[in-house]
Amino acid sequence: MARFSSPEAFGAAAEDLSLFPFNFERAGVNQYLVANLVGDFIRLTEAELHKLVDLQIRPGDGLYEKAYAAHLVTGTNQKSQRQLLAARLRSRMSFLQQTTPLHIFVVTLRCEHSCPYCQVSRQSTDRSRFDMSEQTAMRALDIAFASPTARIKIEFQGGEPLLNFPLIRKIVAAAKQRSGKKLDFVIASNLALLDNTVLEFCKENDVLLSTSLDGPADLHNKNRPRPGGNSHELAVAGIRRAREILGPDRVGALMTTTEASLDRVDEIIDEYLQLGLDGIFLRPLSPFGFAIKTKQFAKYDARKWLAFYERGLRRVLEINRQGTPFREFYAALLLTRMLSDRPIGYVDLRSPAGAGLGALVYNYDGSVFASDEGRMLAETGDDAFRLGHVEHDSYNSLILSDKLIGAISSSLTQCAPECSTCVYESHCGADPVYHHATQGDALGIKPLSAFCARQKGIMGLLLDILENSPEDAAILRRWAAA
Amino acid sequence: MPQAAKLPAASSVEVAVDFDSSIQSLSALDAAAYRLIGTATCQVHRAGDHYLCRLISSANPQKGPVLGPDELKERFLNLVADENLRARVAARTDGVRNVILALAFGALATNQNDAG
Amino acid sequence: MTLPLYGTASRSAGFSSDKARSVVRLRSVDSAAERHVADFALARTPDDIRRAIEAEWPSILVVSDGSIDLPGTFTGRLVAVPPKYDYLADGDVIGIDHASRKFRTLYRRNSAHNSFLVTERCNNYCLMCSQPPKNVDDRWILSEIKESLPLIDPATGALTFTGGETLSDWEDFIAVLKECRDRLPATAIQVLTNGRAFADSRIVDAWKDIGHPFLMAAIPVYASVDHVHDHVVQAKGAFDETILGILKLKDRGQRVEIRVVLHALTAPIIEDTGRWIARNLPFVDHVALMGLENTGFAIANDAMLWMDPVDYGDGLARAVDHLSAAGVNVSVYNLPKCVLPKSVWPHALQSISDWKNGFVEECDRCDAKTTCSGFFTTGRPRFSRGVRAITAQRDELTTLAD
Repeated sequence: MARFSSPEAFGAAAEDLSLFPFNFERAGVNQYLVANLVGDFIRLTEAELHKLVDLQIRPGDGLYEKAYAAHLVTGTNQKSQRQLLAARLRSRMSFLQQTTPLHIFVVTLRCEHSCPYCQVSRQSTDRSRFDMSEQTAMRALDIAFASPTARIKIEFQGGEPLLNFPLIRKIVAAAKQRSGKKLDFVIASNLALLDNTVLEFCKENDVLLSTSLDGPADLHNKNRPRPGGNSHELAVAGIRRAREILGPDRVGALMTTTEASLDRVDEIIDEYLQLGLDGIFLRPLSPFGFAIKTKQFAKYDARKWLAFYERGLRRVLEINRQGTPFREFYAALLLTRMLSDRPIGYVDLRSPAGAGLGALVYNYDGSVFASDEGRMLAETGDDAFRLGHVEHDSYNSLILSDKLIGAISSSLTQCAPECSTCVYESHCGADPVYHHATQGDALGIKPLSAFCARQKGIMGLLLDILENSPEDAAILRRWAAA
Repeated sequence: MPQAAKLPAASSVEVAVDFDSSIQSLSALDAAAYRLIGTATCQVHRAGDHYLCRLISSANPQKGPVLGPDELKERFLNLVADENLRARVAARTDGVRNVILALAFGALATNQNDAG
Repeated sequence: MTLPLYGTASRSAGFSSDKARSVVRLRSVDSAAERHVADFALARTPDDIRRAIEAEWPSILVVSDGSIDLPGTFTGRLVAVPPKYDYLADGDVIGIDHASRKFRTLYRRNSAHNSFLVTERCNNYCLMCSQPPKNVDDRWILSEIKESLPLIDPATGALTFTGGETLSDWEDFIAVLKECRDRLPATAIQVLTNGRAFADSRIVDAWKDIGHPFLMAAIPVYASVDHVHDHVVQAKGAFDETILGILKLKDRGQRVEIRVVLHALTAPIIEDTGRWIARNLPFVDHVALMGLENTGFAIANDAMLWMDPVDYGDGLARAVDHLSAAGVNVSVYNLPKCVLPKSVWPHALQSISDWKNGFVEECDRCDAKTTCSGFFTTGRPRFSRGVRAITAQRDELTTLAD
């Protein structure tokens, strides 16, 4: 006669329970948001949190089940959960095995726009001493090919890089000649100078185009003054032409936010939609270069930007509900962190920081910087992120330089005050360049950091949607898929 | 009528909170004070077996509205309570955290050692 | 109707007494295939018998309800089985006990659902077990399987090994899998196992060393919480071992399917379980969410386990959504489309083994019958109150109701 045991026979005894590490944050009256070692979130009341910490929980009480499934509690002698957490943590951190995947070549500083927020200091078009030399380019390529990763992306920036198109040709050809790495190429251009020659070249060599599109014409042109005032017209024409000739997935657009953008997110999104682009990246304004000089940065704070972002995200979700797939790319990045353990090497959202380890920037004059923003700081006289020079440095000497190691190690969120116990830490990142530029310190005081406020704001918003809006949650979950 | 000479400026608020130092750790007070940066400053003094915390709310807070004295006190007490809880959790979990980290990354160290 | 895979021969003769059992492969009388010592000519009529003898078949299996006349010159082996085994065909393999004349159909060449029972022993004791465990020494079964492998058509698409717990004698069983790799290199192998053995690194390493190109371990996980899973499988510590086993298998690049049988203990929490699998084990090769087969222990525990699928449809749909949003291949087995939410239909597969698969009268007028899993014919089938033919009319009514 078969005999079966009741559920009670299978529960662990109280003395056999142990806690796993977790972070928490007050999230309202009598509510805590709790995150485990790999960033899975659950909400607990104050009483539940205290019961959990004191291990006053029992199989069958509901709280035990919530806590166990969220890896907050385990059987002291059990093995699978700690192995699972270790495996997931290793996966989340495995982006560290790909150093350095991105190499930015600033082929010229010359540009024919004069955007007030521009991170690039302007030099007028006819001064060719602001072009990168072929020798510098080849030395930079040596360094890029010395990075350990099997696949690198070479991105051409400026100024307006198409003003030095011949050098781009040479670099692409030389890179392809070298063996040992898979290569991706991108040109970040305002597309005003896009012609058939450039398009043919891009098509033949599989080069991606990335451009700026700040919104409808009046907004875009106000942000991007150009002699002739037709920046928007040229960008749109360029995007259309490039999509037609290269294919829709070979052309991307990025917007930059200025104070003028903050009330117009719906129009900006509609502009992207009309051009058939598959998503938008709602970025904050960087506090670098001309932005600081012209006080663009001071003009709005994290709260205003978050309101702008939320409105934009909800508009994007509405577009999806109406049947058009369209993503907000920053949310997609964060959701990949929050809903999966796939490693993300996005340079501004990782700890250890992506400076140097994620990207190296080779300036027109041969100096090498830990990030694009680090280069902009140098333009204002601050060399904190200048790692060296292509003439006398190697990949190793750059990456292992005291400057870089110092910046990365001092900004680690895993060790930083508030960050190390922050409920969002698993999904956040260190941004030593930003904090150095705004606070004079790679770590920064996070309660004063707009970066921190934005991160918390966006993640809080995404969690709210995931928990309370089932239809939108289903849309967001798919943005996190591979 | 003007009162004591050391009135705080009209636009900021000052609150004093004290803790029994035999049961309240200084590090938790520091951590709570850190989280309060931008909202209020906090100075901690030791007086006998007490910690005295002098909180002055910022006239120009980085985030949120200016806090009144009761709100500031409540906020600080909540922050300290949270930090105390964090310390308790850490004490109970640092051991297993190290085990998990070793499981996650320990093999890397072995590989590196093997590779010389 | 359930196909009878077990039976007793009405006659048998000519088997040697030096072993207790024989494995037999059936061949049509006219078969030109190379003859193996285990081959028996398959005869259904006296004429078949005559031709078999003329073709010098040393062994004959007759499907017949009447008496069989064999010429006195025939000195070979003979088995006679009643007409209900008429499904037997060329290429099929049976195992027969000499003394009792009891036989089992081990393999049917024209079936897509061949499974070998490896043992009846198990270290779990699932509340709904369709093959209740017995503590017997049945290691002879693995020997019989080993004898059968050379007789199986190498063009066979897939084979399943089931039990009991297939890894009960893991060394011998892994040896059998290596035989499969060598003799049937193009046949996909699915092994149903509770996965607990894989918590032992020795066993996972041995599994990996098989080096089989198409091997999948199908492992049940019933909850995201230890005691809930342990209660369903009636073994304390099972969840911990099973999850650890899955991790070790994937760590060594082995293919894993997770199965969840849906009943009153597992279905109400299926959204949580699905979300947990999507978050913690998204790298598994497949997840199968399965309707309950009401046989074996499931009948004894019916009061505790029965849940009408229409009552867990919403949770199931959400579980499927979490899993597919996370990029996990997810299928729903053993549940007819009429009881499933529409969002689940693309994942609902025809999954019930042919020999125990059937439909009901209502299904005759259903548009979706050809792509529907139908029902189990085994045990005491219980039918959802939602069973209803899917017709265009019904769709309209549903739309109106919405």
